[in-house]
Amino acid sequence: MRAFLPGDRLKSLLTALGTHMDVVAPQLVEGAVVFASWKGQEIALQENSLLPPLEFLLPQRDVLFRYTQDSGRYSFVEPSAKFRLIFGIRSCDLCAVAALDKIFGSAPADHPYFDKRRSTVLVALNCTRPGENCFCSSSGSGPECQDLFDLLLTEIRDGYLAETGSPAGIMILKEHPDLFLDAQESHLAEKRDVLRNANSALPVREERSAANVRVAMEKADWDALGLQCLNCGSCTFVCPVCHCFSIFDAGVPDGERLRCRDTCLLSGFSRMAGGANPRISQGERLHNWYLDKFEYIPQKTGLAGCVGCGRCSRVCLAQMDRWSLEVGR
Amino acid sequence: MSQYIPVPVEIVDIDIESPNTYLITLEVPEEVHFSYKPGQFVMVSVFGLGECPISITSSPTRKALQLCIRRAGRITNGIMDSRVGDVLGMRGPFGNGFPLEQMQKNILIAGGGSGFATLRSLVNYIVDRRSAFGDVAVAYGARTARDLYFMQEYEGWQKAGIDVGITVDIGDESWKGNVGLVTGLLDKLRLSKGSAAICGPPIMINSVADKLMEKGFARCDIYVSMERHMKCGVGKCEHCMIGPHHACQDGPVFSYDKVKSVL
Repeated sequence: MRAFLPGDRLKSLLTALGTHMDVVAPQLVEGAVVFASWKGQEIALQENSLLPPLEFLLPQRDVLFRYTQDSGRYSFVEPSAKFRLIFGIRSCDLCAVAALDKIFGSAPADHPYFDKRRSTVLVALNCTRPGENCFCSSSGSGPECQDLFDLLLTEIRDGYLAETGSPAGIMILKEHPDLFLDAQESHLAEKRDVLRNANSALPVREERSAANVRVAMEKADWDALGLQCLNCGSCTFVCPVCHCFSIFDAGVPDGERLRCRDTCLLSGFSRMAGGANPRISQGERLHNWYLDKFEYIPQKTGLAGCVGCGRCSRVCLAQMDRWSLEVGR
Repeated sequence: MSQYIPVPVEIVDIDIESPNTYLITLEVPEEVHFSYKPGQFVMVSVFGLGECPISITSSPTRKALQLCIRRAGRITNGIMDSRVGDVLGMRGPFGNGFPLEQMQKNILIAGGGSGFATLRSLVNYIVDRRSAFGDVAVAYGARTARDLYFMQEYEGWQKAGIDVGITVDIGDESWKGNVGLVTGLLDKLRLSKGSAAICGPPIMINSVADKLMEKGFARCDIYVSMERHMKCGVGKCEHCMIGPHHACQDGPVFSYDKVKSVL
C-alpha cells in the first residue's frame, strides 16, 4: 500500500501514534542528532544519529528480571516491553537489526530482545542525506531500505511517500485517513529521483567492501594496530551491529539483574576469574572484532556484519584507517 | 519465560575438598526436571553479587547434583560463604558435554588442577556404566597433595577396573606418590588407544595431547573441555568466543583439532 503524507502533517501523525505508544524520533539534543522519546520536538533528519537506535532493543541498562527475597525464598518478576514506534530508522540501521534478529534468534532465542523487538514498530526513512563517512552502497546495505520496516517513508517535495511493509504499517495508513492522501505516479517518480541523487552523493568506497576488508585483514600488522588503538571501545558502542553485553546484579536482598552493553575490545572482556586471558593483547582483540564482523557474522547469519554507517570512523580518537588497516603512526 | 531467570536451588551439603575448594550439593525443585550430561555446566547466581559458570562435577547417574567451587573471584567467594540451607540461583545445564556416543570405548581422562572437577562427572558416569566402556585410565595432577580433589573416591575407581594415576607438582614428606607432570603419568598407566578427555591449563592440555598423539591417538579423538569467561550461557553475550564458536553453546567440549590454534 502506498500513500502521500504532506510534510506539515508528520507531527500530527506522530502525535496521533504517540497516544497509544512511545514514539521515538531523531531530534537535536545539545546540538547532536539523537533517537529519543518524542514529545513534539523538532524532528532532526539532516544526518543519521551517532548512536544507533539499537538502544531501544538492547538498552544500555536492560532489566532482565527483578528478584525479591522473603525468608530466604526468592521470587522473580520479568518486566514487559512497552509498545514503541521508532521513526526515522535508516537503511544501515535496519540491516543491523536484521543481523541482530538472526544473532539473538539463534537457538535458544533471546527472550528479552524479542520481547522488545515484537513490541516495536519500525517506520523507516530512505536515506537521502548520506553523511561524509557513509559507505552503505559499498557494503550493500543502503541507501534504500529493502526489508524489515513496517512503514517506509521517502522524503520528496512537500512531504513523504509512505509505503507499507507489514500489517502494522497498513494499520497506520488505515487508521489515519485524515492525514494521508493518495499517492500519485509523480510521487513514485520523485522517489526514484531522490534515491538516484542519494546514490550518486554517496562516495564509492570499494576499499570498504567486505571482500576488500578481508584482503586488508590478511595483510594487517595487528600488533602495530593494537598499539595505535587507544582501547577506548567507542567504535563498538556506536556500531549498530555490536551487541556484546555483561550481566550483573544491583541490590541486596531485593534487586535487579541487569544486562548492559560491553565491548570485546576491553582487556577484561575475556579475562577469567583465575586471571588467565585468552585475548591478552589489544591487537588480538582488534583482530577478533574484525573477524567477527567480516567472517563469523556473515557465516552464521548470511548477512553483513558491517552495515556501512561509518560511525566507527566518526568516533575513532586514534584516527585509525579502519578499512585499509594500515598503521597510521 | 526468559532463559535468564534462574531456578532457586538449596544448598543441602558442603564438603571441603581442598583449602580453597568446596564440594557443594544442591537440591533442585522436583518440578524442574533437571537432567544433564557429563561435561555440561550451569550458571550459578548469588543474588546481589551476580552469576558465573560452574561445571557440574557429579554424574547424572547419581541423585545428588554437585558443584566444585574454587575461590577465584567475587561470585565464587559468595557461593563459598553460603551455608547449608541457603538458596542460590541456577540456570542450565548449558553446553554440549562429552560426546559419549562419538567417543571410543577405551578412554583416557586427564585433568590438571581444578580442571579435574568437570572430569569427575565423566569418571563416575563410566564407573556406573562400566560394561559400556573398555580400558579406562585416569591421569590427574594437582599443585600439592593438599590440592587434590576427591581423594576418597580413587579407590572405588580402581575397584571398578579404572587405572588411576595421581601426581603432584610439589611433593613433601607426607606424600608417597608421584611428583611431576601429568604427562609423566601417561607412560605409567595402562593406555589403550581410543578417545581422551582433557581439562586443565592450556600448557598441560597441549603436552598431554602431544604425548597421546605420539602414542597413536587421533587428534579428532582427543576432546578438550575449555574454560572461558561467560555471562549469558546462551551464545549471545560473546564473552566466550573461540573463533566462530561459543564455548557456552558449541562447547565447552571441543575436539583438539578445533581448538589447537587457541591453546
